[in-house]
Amino acid sequence: MSEIDVVTVRGLVKSYGRRLVVDGLDLEVARGEVVGLIGANGAGKTTTVECIQGLRRPDGGSLRVLGLDPMTDADRLRGLVGSQLQSAGLPDRLRVGEAVRLFSGRGSEELLEQFGLLERRRSAFASLSGGERQRLFLVLALVNRPPLVILDELTQGLDPAARRSVWAAIEQLRTDGMTVLLVTHELDEAEQLCDRVVAIRAGRVLDSGTPAELVDRYGRSATVSFTLSVDHSLEMLPRLGLLPGVSDVREQAGKVTVSGTRAAVAHVGAELVAAGWVPPDLAARVPSLEDALLSLLERDRDSMSDLEEPELIGATR
Amino acid sequence: MSTAVETTAVRSTAVGRLVRIELKLMVREPLTLIFVFVFPVVTMLIIGGSFGTTPTVAFDWVNPSQWYVASYLTVVIAATGLIMVPVHLASYRERGVLRRFAAAGFPRWSFALAEVVTGLVAIIVGSVALLAVAAPVYGLPSAHHLVRVALGFGLGSVAFVAIGVLLGTVLPSARSAQAVGMVLFFPSFLLGSGGPPPHVMGTALRTIASYLPLTRVTDAVRDPWLGTGTATGSLLVVGGLAVAATLLAARCSSFRSVSR
Repeated sequence: MSEIDVVTVRGLVKSYGRRLVVDGLDLEVARGEVVGLIGANGAGKTTTVECIQGLRRPDGGSLRVLGLDPMTDADRLRGLVGSQLQSAGLPDRLRVGEAVRLFSGRGSEELLEQFGLLERRRSAFASLSGGERQRLFLVLALVNRPPLVILDELTQGLDPAARRSVWAAIEQLRTDGMTVLLVTHELDEAEQLCDRVVAIRAGRVLDSGTPAELVDRYGRSATVSFTLSVDHSLEMLPRLGLLPGVSDVREQAGKVTVSGTRAAVAHVGAELVAAGWVPPDLAARVPSLEDALLSLLERDRDSMSDLEEPELIGATR
Repeated sequence: MSTAVETTAVRSTAVGRLVRIELKLMVREPLTLIFVFVFPVVTMLIIGGSFGTTPTVAFDWVNPSQWYVASYLTVVIAATGLIMVPVHLASYRERGVLRRFAAAGFPRWSFALAEVVTGLVAIIVGSVALLAVAAPVYGLPSAHHLVRVALGFGLGSVAFVAIGVLLGTVLPSARSAQAVGMVLFFPSFLLGSGGPPPHVMGTALRTIASYLPLTRVTDAVRDPWLGTGTATGSLLVVGGLAVAATLLAARCSSFRSVSR
């Protein structure tokens, strides 16, 4: 284990009855990193973070979180981890301000203000909207400035505006150097917020890396397209095909599509500028993490069809 | 990293906050207010005024109104242990409140402790309210063996709060806790405390009543209070029940406090 690792998981195994949910999973989170645990419903994400927090007893593997063993030091560890759990509520008649004081021992007007809940601090939990509840859970996860924050599906059920405001808050945490483990099946969320993502499926790690790395590895090619003009004839097309990173150049009825790596986009642009002509309909498209992960899951399905346990796919706990 | 002493201090204040907030939430819960604070007072006023004030054989030759005043403290105990505590606990578990508390670093035992404290405070407040209403209406009988009354009341309260924690821990939802709680509460109430005196019951009913835990608690409180007996046997049974229920509740709640 490296000195800076906040979370180290090796070979984690967990079954519910005869159903294997986590199957030899490895995971590291370094200090100051925002790591996204991504995967479909039932992939074993929530079970993994519950084991990390000492809320569930693993069947096998070793875990080390903030230098503690979640099994033997669960009580101490939980005080050090700020967490937003999936499907965990609060008493109906508990008021917002009371909840914050209960979890932290003090009122935290700044955080309530930041998450737009200051006006609601005297409101009962039962009277809050879905978005307000999620924001309150986030406040409770952050209120003690914990060295590790675990957020499980935190923007689930939020409207787009509320989602953006929560994202902005997470980006602030990243700027502040907090260590965050974010569990999500929303890939745009992971791409936007995470330094590194770990893709899991059927309880195993498929791959991990920065969102850009995964996109490069698994995403379809980046493309640049434009329409040729009469002045700029077909003679430039072979030159485009020789540029670094370009894998394919197609022309159909004057419409040109250049495919290749992310870098190829820059080289094609430079070539056009050097030729003294920027096509008015120039368009570049770089695949998103969502495109990349869908492709990753498809590849995985092909390569491990024999090993598949059908009840795990898309199953919810 | 905190020292052990600091950690303990932080935890104990967290547990203190939990107990305080649970007490606050208790009085915001309509089911608690009705069953623990209102129901015993109203039924005591009605039943206590139904048989006059002349001592008869059915009431062990004591004033029937005072016989009921001495009986009704255990209605408060039963309402707390069979309805308030189990419904509260089961609803918290069902809705993931316990998971959230556990994940936030509240020790596993702290919620059970908060429930015990809240239950005992509810019983004390409900009993004081009951006596405060009874005093000007029917008068308070003087206690013949105050220490035995206090022991019976205290051990009976602990026993029923522990039974409540046990029920709330093993029952899967607030709805089922409420159903089971009502099914246990009303026969206990009618046969073991606030209903007809045992002397007027038929043999079958009297036999059933004698097996109800609440009957034993009522005997252990009422007999030494009114001087109709010492109820040593019942006091021992209630003491045993308190110990057994507490151990069982502690064991079950430490295993199941976090699971859904």
